[in-house]
Amino acid sequence: MQEVAVIGVGMHRFGKTGDDIVGTKSVGSLCRTAVDAALKDAGVNWKQIQAVAAASSRFSGGKGWGLNGNDVVEDLGSTGIPVYNMSAGCAAGGNAFNVGYSMVAGGVYDMMLVVGGEVMPKGMIQTSGVEEATDPEFLRQRCIGMPGPSFWSTLARRRMFEYGTTEEQFSQVAVKARKCSVHNPMARFQKEITVEDVMNSPYVSNPLRLFQICPVSNGAAAAIICSKEYAKKFTSKPITVASSTVATMTFNDMLPRGLADPMTECANLHTEAQNAVANAFEKSGIGPGDVSFTELQDNTCYYELAFPEEWGLCEAGESESLLMAGETTPTGRMPINPSGGFVSFGEATTAMGVFQIAELTWQLRGQAGGRQVPDAKVGLAQTLGLGGNATAAILKR
Amino acid sequence: MSESGLPCVEGLFSAEDGVATLHGSKCTGCNTPYFPRSEACHNPDCTGSNIVDFDFGGSGTLWSYSVADFPPPPPHKFDKPFAPYAIGVVDMECGLRLIGQMVDKAEDVKVDAKVELVIDTLYHEDDVAYSSWKFKQI
Ligand SMILES: [Zn+2]
Repeated sequence: MQEVAVIGVGMHRFGKTGDDIVGTKSVGSLCRTAVDAALKDAGVNWKQIQAVAAASSRFSGGKGWGLNGNDVVEDLGSTGIPVYNMSAGCAAGGNAFNVGYSMVAGGVYDMMLVVGGEVMPKGMIQTSGVEEATDPEFLRQRCIGMPGPSFWSTLARRRMFEYGTTEEQFSQVAVKARKCSVHNPMARFQKEITVEDVMNSPYVSNPLRLFQICPVSNGAAAAIICSKEYAKKFTSKPITVASSTVATMTFNDMLPRGLADPMTECANLHTEAQNAVANAFEKSGIGPGDVSFTELQDNTCYYELAFPEEWGLCEAGESESLLMAGETTPTGRMPINPSGGFVSFGEATTAMGVFQIAELTWQLRGQAGGRQVPDAKVGLAQTLGLGGNATAAILKR
Repeated sequence: MSESGLPCVEGLFSAEDGVATLHGSKCTGCNTPYFPRSEACHNPDCTGSNIVDFDFGGSGTLWSYSVADFPPPPPHKFDKPFAPYAIGVVDMECGLRLIGQMVDKAEDVKVDAKVELVIDTLYHEDDVAYSSWKFKQI
């Protein structure tokens, strides 16, 4: 295995179809901007890229929308290089990064592009679209009717019951996130909001309100990775990938993803995420106490409170007090999502895992401006995708 | 409550004499229940995956719930105008953590409440009532 480095990252600012940011741009156009920026950042030209790991949703939704890595290659110049299209729901970006990392670490390629981008369909994300009794998503919608946010509000409600978490505390997470986003030129939302603003936004799925969950966005992110040895040609300050992992959920998981789940003694509700993060710690020899900051998948504010506890970044039930004391801000003891997170970006599904790599890289280089985590040395990233997929990555300088 | 009609999906559940029965399966090797039926046991420590039919009903404890404040996307079907409802996640006595709509109004639902399984109307189509399993606080 050879050490792997990130030498360039780029992004297209996130936005919503029809707005001034992304307008009617295609996913190819968004990716082009992100890839060009990453190549420029790395000081690499397109012909030096030997393979592409793309976070692809084209064939997973069956609707013809989403990214297909082959289109990115054609757009940048049909060099004939291999493209690996990775499909793992919202974890696809993290999955693509892991495939790129693994291939470079294994010596298959010296330099790869990892890219994810999305132009999201309007409205709530529909899953399979098929009407068959063998399809768990069909059963869930026909027999029960669970809008997407309901999965998250069930978790939030349970946390309120167990720890006495208040709606104002969920709101404070959004307030903190949006305070960071003011300093992030790539974020879709860049304005501060107050607890009152959040509490005045309508319930999407009680107890969660509109400003406490991430909307869908259009956007793209790219990263150029290469072997540490190869990186010396391009930069004197590469960011090292300490570990990159992919995991699925384990049998003892206690969060039903379909209609029902066998009950076990396991208290963990997202074993896929815990597995990915625990493996990332183990493989890197880096522990929770060494992490300078974390970029985690905050589809809803709930995750900013639950995940750090589930991964050992803090004690169970401690998140609310850390939040209220400002310890999860970039200058606090346990900075979470200094980028502004999904709540400030919205989710462009397949871009998210790569968006996190870009933020980690900027933070570790000290280029994050007003949202900079002081003296950031180690960053942890995590994604979570439909179907029990999760990824984690630890980057260090 | 148990307005007679058709199940929204065939074969998953039935209601006789007002008693709700869900049709799942169970592994005789490790005693793990599944709903809907599973063709194989998912337990990696189970060496004797042997799946048999398993009917269940009865009661449980509400682990948590959410509220559908807006209509879910298709293929969900509902009677218009849309009325918000609660969705319960229940730890059933049979060993399954099961999801289902609540019969009770959202503002009356309480985490940790005892609930029982019922079969209730979900929506109407061409004057036919289609039903599903739901939970009712006891
Ligand atoms: Zn078994």
